[in-house]
Amino acid sequence: MMKQKKSSLFGGVTLAALVTIIVMPLLLPSATLATEILIFAMAALACNLLLGYTGLLSFGQGIFFGGGAYVASICMIHWQFGLLEALLIAMLTGALLAGLVGALSIRRKGIYFVMLTLSFSQMAYFIAYSLSDWTGGDNGLLDIPRPPLMLLGFEVSDLVSSEAFYAFVGVLFMLIFVFARRVIHSPFGTTLVAIRENENRASAVGFSTNHFKLLAFVISGGITGIAGALYAMLLNFAPLSNIELQMSESILIMTIIGGTGSLFGSILGAGSIVLLGDILSSVWPRWMILLGIALIGVVLFMPSGLWGGVGSVADRWREYRRRKASAAKSSEVN
Amino acid sequence: MKKMILRNVLLSAVLTATTTLTFAAEGVTIYGVKSVSGAFASYGKYADMGSKLAVEDYGTLLGQPVSYKTLDTEGNAGKAVRKVQEAVSQDNARFFDGATLSSTALAIGKEVNKVNGVFMTPAGADELTGVDCNMSTFRWSVPTYGAIRQTVKPLIDQFPEKKRWYTITPQYVFGEALLENAKQVFEAEGVEHVGNSYHSLKEQEFSGYLTNAMAAQPDVLLLLNFGSQSSNALRQAINFGLKNQMTILMAWSSGLDQLQELGPDIADGVYFGAQYWHTVDTPMNNALVKRVNEAYGMNPNYPLAADYIGTTAILNAIAKAGTTDSAVVAKALEGVTYDGPTGSEFVRAADHQVLKDYYLLKGKPASEMADADDYVDIISSGKSFPDEATLACKRS
Repeated sequence: MMKQKKSSLFGGVTLAALVTIIVMPLLLPSATLATEILIFAMAALACNLLLGYTGLLSFGQGIFFGGGAYVASICMIHWQFGLLEALLIAMLTGALLAGLVGALSIRRKGIYFVMLTLSFSQMAYFIAYSLSDWTGGDNGLLDIPRPPLMLLGFEVSDLVSSEAFYAFVGVLFMLIFVFARRVIHSPFGTTLVAIRENENRASAVGFSTNHFKLLAFVISGGITGIAGALYAMLLNFAPLSNIELQMSESILIMTIIGGTGSLFGSILGAGSIVLLGDILSSVWPRWMILLGIALIGVVLFMPSGLWGGVGSVADRWREYRRRKASAAKSSEVN
Repeated sequence: MKKMILRNVLLSAVLTATTTLTFAAEGVTIYGVKSVSGAFASYGKYADMGSKLAVEDYGTLLGQPVSYKTLDTEGNAGKAVRKVQEAVSQDNARFFDGATLSSTALAIGKEVNKVNGVFMTPAGADELTGVDCNMSTFRWSVPTYGAIRQTVKPLIDQFPEKKRWYTITPQYVFGEALLENAKQVFEAEGVEHVGNSYHSLKEQEFSGYLTNAMAAQPDVLLLLNFGSQSSNALRQAINFGLKNQMTILMAWSSGLDQLQELGPDIADGVYFGAQYWHTVDTPMNNALVKRVNEAYGMNPNYPLAADYIGTTAILNAIAKAGTTDSAVVAKALEGVTYDGPTGSEFVRAADHQVLKDYYLLKGKPASEMADADDYVDIISSGKSFPDEATLACKRS
């Protein structure tokens, strides 16, 4: 089993995530772009709980993302839900959908599990497409409001400016990040890793692996649902593409590029994919070929993703410094 | 070292902000919302060429240079909206043209309207000038109402003996609108609608629907899908030998680029509805064809012509208004009549729909083609739009 590094919940990687969130809007062209990256980082983080920590390659993430976006939006449009209520309902929708998809999919393993999540993804797309009175069908759901942030009856922020909304998404992301770290470092999280490494052995020592996998699905779905609702609030619009298979693929690619088994890698993965799209599309219309090459490169040469690559470079640097120091020490002795 | 990094970061942030401010202060910028990459890149490429050329041809406006910036939608409505939001907040952008997909156009129209900007689009959704109309959104392309009346009705008039029609329809808002209009014309003209096959937005295999159509023994097969779906449906219909058994009409083709893709063997004898055709003999179109041939060595197709005239219309409105205040420019664009590629075109104030001609074309055999792009003869053309009293657009 992979050795788990012990680290404080609020130090190390959490601190790095916090610094990144603070610095990102200063370095990027706009807070809107930074917000999109954070939202997708949230979705990739949720995917990481499944793929990176439980070993489940799910093509169902788009269902939870789109489901959360649609249900939260419909509640805000038709029943004037506030911001926090809408996010809560998005989380519950994502969790519920994940519970349904997970309960059936985890009965099979490997390729059959993947095929089941693919089938659910296609079903969800056609349901959203058919329920055009509610989802807007191919035209998408328009006029989605971005309600103000209210706490104890007081308006904390109207969230109208892109900077204010970024700050809100940033805070929410950090809360989810800390929660996810807590989950990973809990006995539940280490059991998920045990299932990933060898499900039969985990089962043999007495764990009900299906229950653990289902709960991982539900947590992942809930977080992805929140990300979907935030994306709808960012755009004031929920396109049908939110629930398409391509959305699941994008989230998976972000997770893999960033690094499976690394929560901070989710930020790197989402950031690199969104930024690459923005930069390369203005250079070459066929930029997706370059994205494909980048993905091949990461998979072949950085199997732990960008975060793994960063870690490996840091390790080599430390090794180089250590050798240099010991060489200097031995020359002093001589 | 740490201080140096911090200094560099701050310096680049200040430089970015300064560049943005300088950019915003310089003249008029038209933002082209085009699917330059992604699934609809072949359309977006020509649309982008059209807007670029229009800006290049315009020269200066209100004594200042006109510039153009492409916002690549990547064929994704969400990306498109985010990039428009960025342009609005970072560059103070107010003038937008383009959007291939209806969903993209509808969402961008809402976004631009929040800042009282101007957005001209050739997208197909009737909602743009219908229930989702607003002060900022203008549409150049003819709605489904006109597309059906300028194709189905002339064909019925030409072949009064062909009384049995079968339709193949994509099952979503746009397809339903075309079908509804077709049914209205059938009823008014006493034509029998012998059947309809719905297909999904992702369908590319139409043999089942074509078999149903053959079984219904219609005189005319009306294809109500568009883009690659209509091309595939038509190709498969030709392979099934339907061209010899019935007349085929594709009501909403994309014109030259689609015919280039299909080729004369498939297009021969088939009827097509189109928003634009490059041989239309109007002063502006003749000039446009000459200019596009000079600039790009090709004849203008629908996306190029639509985005050329859309961009030009915005620039003309700015000149007319004498200001870059976008709310005033939007007002100035209302009720304008101008010389467009399809002849005299009029921007109706009530719903911001451009009233222009729609064309019924008929594919000709390769042996009769005068040049490489001479795929069709223009059978008829005309304007059909719903009355102002019946408009779904209720703008305050």
